Amino acid sequence: MKKIFYSLFVLIFSFGCNEDFLEEFPTSYTTPEKLGEALELNPGVGSSGLLGIYESMFAVGTGYENDFPSGRNDYDFGHRGYDVLSDMLSGDMVLGGKNYGWLSDISELTATEDYTNSNNYTMWRYYYYIVLLANSTIDAFGGSDANPETTEAQQGLGQSLGTRAYAYFYLLNLFANDFDNADLVLPIYSNSTSENQPKSSVKDVIDFIISDLTKSKALLTGFSRSAPNIIDEYVASTYLAYAYALKGDYANASSAAKFVIDNSGKSVQSITEIVSGMNDVNRLSGNVLWGTDLTVDNGLDLRSWWGQCDIFTYSYAWAGDPKVADVSLYNQIAEDDVRKTWFRTSGGYTLAPHYKFFHEDRIIGGQRNVTADYIYNRIEELYLLHAEAEAALGNDAAARQSLKAILDHRIPDSSYLDALSGTDLQDEIYLQTRIELWGEGKSYLAMKRLRKTITRGPNWLDYPGESFDYNDEKLTFEIPEIEIRNNPNISDQNPK
Amino acid sequence: MVNAQQTITGKVQDHDGLDLPGATIVVEGTSTATTSDFDGNFSISADNGDKLLISYVGYKVAEILVDGNSVLATLSLSTELEEVIVTGYGVYDKKRYTGSAVTIDTEPISRKNISNISRGLVGEASGLTVVSNSGQPGTSATIRIRGKAGSVNGNSAPLYVLDGVPYNGNLNAINPNDIETTTILKDAAATAIYGNRGANGVILITTKRGDADKARISVDIKSGTNTDYLPRYSVIESPERWTEIVWESLKNRGIGIGQNGADYAQLRLFSSAGINPKYNMWNANGNALIDPSTGKFNSSVGRKYDPEVWRDYAFNDARRNEVNFSISGGSKTSKYYYSAGALEDVGYGINSDFRRYSTRLNLDFTPYEWLTAKTNFGYSYAASNFNGQSSDSGSIFWTTANMPRIYPLFERDADGNKIKDVYGGFKYDYGEGRGFAGLTNSIGDAYYDTDKDLIHNLNINQQFALSLMEGVTFESLFSINYLMDNTDLVSDPTYGSSRGQGGYVSKTKNQNTNWTLRNALRFERQLSDRFFMMGFIAHESERYESSTMNANKYTLLQPRGPISVELDNAVKNNNSSSSTSAVSREAYVAYFNLKVDEAYNIAIDFRRDSTSIFPNDKWGNFGSVSLGWILSEEDFFNAPNISFFKLRTSYGIIGEALGQGFYPGYDRIDVKNLNDEVATVFISKGNAELTWEAGKQFNLGIDLESNYVNATIDFYSKNRDDMFFTRNVGTSLGYRSILVNDGSLKNWGIEFTVDKDIIKTDDFNLNVRVLGSIEKNELTELPYDPAAGRRKYFQSNGFYGLGKGKSTYEFYMREYAGVNPDNGYAQWFRNYDDKNSNGSLDDGEEIEDLFEYKIENPKANILEDKVEKYVDATKRFTGKTAIPDMYGSITLSASYKAFDMRAIFSYGLGGYAYDSAYADFMDNETASNAQQFHTDIENRWRQAGDVTDVPILNSNLQVNQASTSTRFLIEADYFNFSNIQVGYTLPDSLIQKINASNIRVYFTGDNLMILSKRDGFNPGYSLSGNTGRYTYEPMTTFTAGLTLNF
Repeated sequence: MKKIFYSLFVLIFSFGCNEDFLEEFPTSYTTPEKLGEALELNPGVGSSGLLGIYESMFAVGTGYENDFPSGRNDYDFGHRGYDVLSDMLSGDMVLGGKNYGWLSDISELTATEDYTNSNNYTMWRYYYYIVLLANSTIDAFGGSDANPETTEAQQGLGQSLGTRAYAYFYLLNLFANDFDNADLVLPIYSNSTSENQPKSSVKDVIDFIISDLTKSKALLTGFSRSAPNIIDEYVASTYLAYAYALKGDYANASSAAKFVIDNSGKSVQSITEIVSGMNDVNRLSGNVLWGTDLTVDNGLDLRSWWGQCDIFTYSYAWAGDPKVADVSLYNQIAEDDVRKTWFRTSGGYTLAPHYKFFHEDRIIGGQRNVTADYIYNRIEELYLLHAEAEAALGNDAAARQSLKAILDHRIPDSSYLDALSGTDLQDEIYLQTRIELWGEGKSYLAMKRLRKTITRGPNWLDYPGESFDYNDEKLTFEIPEIEIRNNPNISDQNPK
Repeated sequence: MVNAQQTITGKVQDHDGLDLPGATIVVEGTSTATTSDFDGNFSISADNGDKLLISYVGYKVAEILVDGNSVLATLSLSTELEEVIVTGYGVYDKKRYTGSAVTIDTEPISRKNISNISRGLVGEASGLTVVSNSGQPGTSATIRIRGKAGSVNGNSAPLYVLDGVPYNGNLNAINPNDIETTTILKDAAATAIYGNRGANGVILITTKRGDADKARISVDIKSGTNTDYLPRYSVIESPERWTEIVWESLKNRGIGIGQNGADYAQLRLFSSAGINPKYNMWNANGNALIDPSTGKFNSSVGRKYDPEVWRDYAFNDARRNEVNFSISGGSKTSKYYYSAGALEDVGYGINSDFRRYSTRLNLDFTPYEWLTAKTNFGYSYAASNFNGQSSDSGSIFWTTANMPRIYPLFERDADGNKIKDVYGGFKYDYGEGRGFAGLTNSIGDAYYDTDKDLIHNLNINQQFALSLMEGVTFESLFSINYLMDNTDLVSDPTYGSSRGQGGYVSKTKNQNTNWTLRNALRFERQLSDRFFMMGFIAHESERYESSTMNANKYTLLQPRGPISVELDNAVKNNNSSSSTSAVSREAYVAYFNLKVDEAYNIAIDFRRDSTSIFPNDKWGNFGSVSLGWILSEEDFFNAPNISFFKLRTSYGIIGEALGQGFYPGYDRIDVKNLNDEVATVFISKGNAELTWEAGKQFNLGIDLESNYVNATIDFYSKNRDDMFFTRNVGTSLGYRSILVNDGSLKNWGIEFTVDKDIIKTDDFNLNVRVLGSIEKNELTELPYDPAAGRRKYFQSNGFYGLGKGKSTYEFYMREYAGVNPDNGYAQWFRNYDDKNSNGSLDDGEEIEDLFEYKIENPKANILEDKVEKYVDATKRFTGKTAIPDMYGSITLSASYKAFDMRAIFSYGLGGYAYDSAYADFMDNETASNAQQFHTDIENRWRQAGDVTDVPILNSNLQVNQASTSTRFLIEADYFNFSNIQVGYTLPDSLIQKINASNIRVYFTGDNLMILSKRDGFNPGYSLSGNTGRYTYEPMTTFTAGLTLNF
């Protein structure tokens, strides 16, 4: 018997572990290597990396607020979150209450002078995160200057370059106080593997954006996208128009805008559409250039643009911190302008965007899981940009024509425009840009690009009646402390 | 007489007459040796007149003069059970043990009201930091052995070993009543054998076993109360007073922006720019509450209602009941230990409790003299409720402490009356428009919602030992721990955050399996009368797997009760998820121990270890050498009052792989849904080149027993190279950091245990034991920064700075410079580099981080001034660390006739902590966001000339008053009365009537007193000593109990 045991134990003892025993892989997420395997086995998801960039544009936590000592930041939900901050800084969107305190520091204009403030960090982090995601796919397609062989790869590279340009465009607007060409403002990363870089000049950044968008537009020519969240040649051309306008190259801005107007097949929202809630990219597919169809599976709730700005969603806007129209801007909307009806004073809210943005159920505090959509760009922007560029070039007639293309759907009679020219016309275009695009994250871009001075209306809780220049330190975000501390090649804030 | 070699036969027995197999018999002065067989019998060649030395671990060596051909050796226990060190790899005689180890017997642990062994270790071993973290019943304490920081970003937690096997289960699955001994292994000699995961010390838990021919029945019953007894922060209790302060704060803001302050405050106090008017609890408008000329509440204004004090509804005394029952015994061939236990431990917070039912069966079989088999079987069922403990406004601890007293618990109508709710009580105020903790009611949620957890834990441990030949044994061990954890969450459909979706139910199932297989060859041989060697070689493999699955739904039928936690009770599907994570390990182990005479002992061990955590570089080699020298055995040692004196030293290199999850080697890419298509998103950076952290440990220790005191003193150093270090990068890379093996850390310290019998008579004994630890640490090297082309000088780390040559626990922050007496503003110190020597700061002379600046600019002309803008101040090392100068415990044990008493006090001296909870109470928030104030707010600056360290309140006109700065650092000295038990053992005359062997009644108290620099501040409660908002403050427990032994 003892011998039987002996043999048994010798057997057990010789039982070693095979090599695979020490190989373990995560399953709650994947890895670059495993993703490669998955794409080979399941070619139908080949564009998942690209789609990931779009997903990140609305996902919660992409600004990594948890890196920050104070933790959660309820504006850390991607692109539309930073739109709220910029709309507030431009003076058109008023923080109507401070019950919860989110964005009090934006209303009070202290966050923008405090490089330790988490709003600077999440914003910086988010846009550079998009840069990294874009660079990863760009690298996978062979780099910024590659000429992929397959149509699919060309379109993939085109989209990637477009998203990278989008991110740099916003970084430049939000973090550069002014746009003097030689000012060193932002580090440029053109691939996903480089180490921390020093700041590049305004000129280099704009040229980088324009170069990416030009390539993107070319690569995406003829590309028919499957969903409105995907960048196509018209989205690329939209940002090209914005970038040229920021650079002051109005001829190119005008032609980029005109290209979208003439070829995208999109039309200006009708007088009924404009009060239909701007909450459905499918219903508005004839108008929306770029946006996302949000579904329950995306998991958005009170931490979302709808939560922060829509009183028909269960969140802060409803519960005590509404985002409302600047009363001075509101007063400049013509009485017979359909857009005047957007803003209502009722239910305890003063000038909240009752009829511009609302969840379709229209139950106060009702929408819990956000399914109302995000719209990033719509065709009206291009008409306004075109008008702005043509007016800047002195072509008032062309400018008036583009502006009328919108106003004819907003007011009974747009003929007053015929009497406007020169700076009056330019001022009118700027005003109409602010009105038409209220709450859409565009008025800050206009203020910066047109070097405007803004004045806060009397309904502001902070600084009512006070004016600020576009290049005031208070209106531009700071390079976050964490970047300065950990990037050995950046040691100072951007020049004033 | 003829001196002829003859065969002597003999028998070895213990003091109870039980046969001792495996005892070593040596003929003194020769190499002739043998061991006793299964029945304790042996035979050996010896001459008459030779001396036989008979030894057995744990027993005194017996010397027997050969006279005739048969001997009977009776061995007596060398002293007490504590004299043996049980490691997973064997049992060692403590006197000769070369490592630094502390064994804690079952008795002191049983004197505490604990549900979990980790909490029972408070005050029982030097060099041990035990912090509770939470008063939630059943939770484990965090334990650190020899210092808070084993590594910068790697693992600092010790390894738990249950009955010889690394244990990854829930500590609260082990009934402390089943534990025979708990041994803390501290140095490399003790821990190297555990290789991976032993670098931060090892805690060995050994469960009870049966004794041959000694049947025992033990019943222990105790019952008592858990209560909220310890002091809290002193706060402004009066709603009127609080409102006056907020009014003053608004007034000061008005003045600060150039307006009429009183008008400004009157207009805003209760308004959309202040507190929501619906919370005006008085019979007057918001602008009529305060007399603008005095700033005092108008005496004519009465209350509409008295808001509830939230705390009164959140905390109640609760019961604690425990019953333990065990039977043990056995024969020569089989022994058994069986136990069953039930514990009901209810917290003082609403719906927070822990219930455990546990059972254990430990069996030993010796069917043949060459075969021993052991099996341990442990099962526990643990159910907990965790309501009111989220880390947000759902925390009843944060909201009860910080909720201003004006906000009622129950919603009021316009007349101030409470409103009936659908459940028949009153409607909780869910805070629509309440600035503090809005849209929630933590107490309502704690009553209405469900947050419960149910764990089944099964632990099975099988061992065989097969004697192959004399002195050679083959051992095989297989152990499995299986844990099934069910977490159910339900949110109410009518009230709270899920009402918009008709309620919410979530179910999580988490299944953990951990198995270990170890095969070893063990050998021991008496080489000569002077040399004895033992050792083993072993191979072991282990795998831990945790799989989790969650599903959740919206829109419920039944909001409460058993149905509510089921998905079938709800209709709308939401996201569901599942995943599995695993780690596997494989190792080869060798250990060799040589004893020379009684005085010297040398041990060497070696491990070749591997882990799946590292994708490419899996294997590492580790080991240690240790030496023990019992000077008191030497002839030259001549100190009659010292009975035992030992020097120990050890040096070893131990690997560590944990601390950053199981997959730090891989980039993380998440799978997301975009319009029902697969989207993949990069989340964080991995590092495939990661490998073992190498810990180098040195220990030098003294063990002393004398007529005056018994003492153990150790000096140690623990250095860590190739540390896991989260190297921060500029986030413009798109990620925040990358984990590298880089940088070096030194930890060193001294620890002591001194034990003295103050009084020792037949009737009265009094013993005092003092434990103390001193520790220091220093970061000697930071990682290489490729973007800079050099090593980093500095990296910030929360409240601390990681600077070369600095402690990792030195506070690094802006320094508070007090209040400007002219305007009341808080000030902080600013440093600047006065390049042009004009004595003031000019553009380009700012210094944001002083430490780094000084290194980069060694010739800088650094000056200092004070600023009122927080962000302009300079961050710098404060010279204050979170590491106490000394910490430890004092234990008093006494007995008088049949009475016994033992009390433990724990202390910390020196060091600092950051009191975040206090900072919340002292903040300069806007009126709507204002929280409860600490009574220290009354010391605030009021008018020019006031000299105080509490700045003006001006409704956040001066921002960042309560942001991180030395203003909230506090000396962390503490003295806690942790535990006392007083017992009385009934006289034999009484107990014999019921055939009991022992009956004892006792009273126990736990967490009885906390003395610190500020009421409510409890630095011994978290690892850092810093405080937080959401802490379940410690619970005080009183119980009475009865133990019956038969």
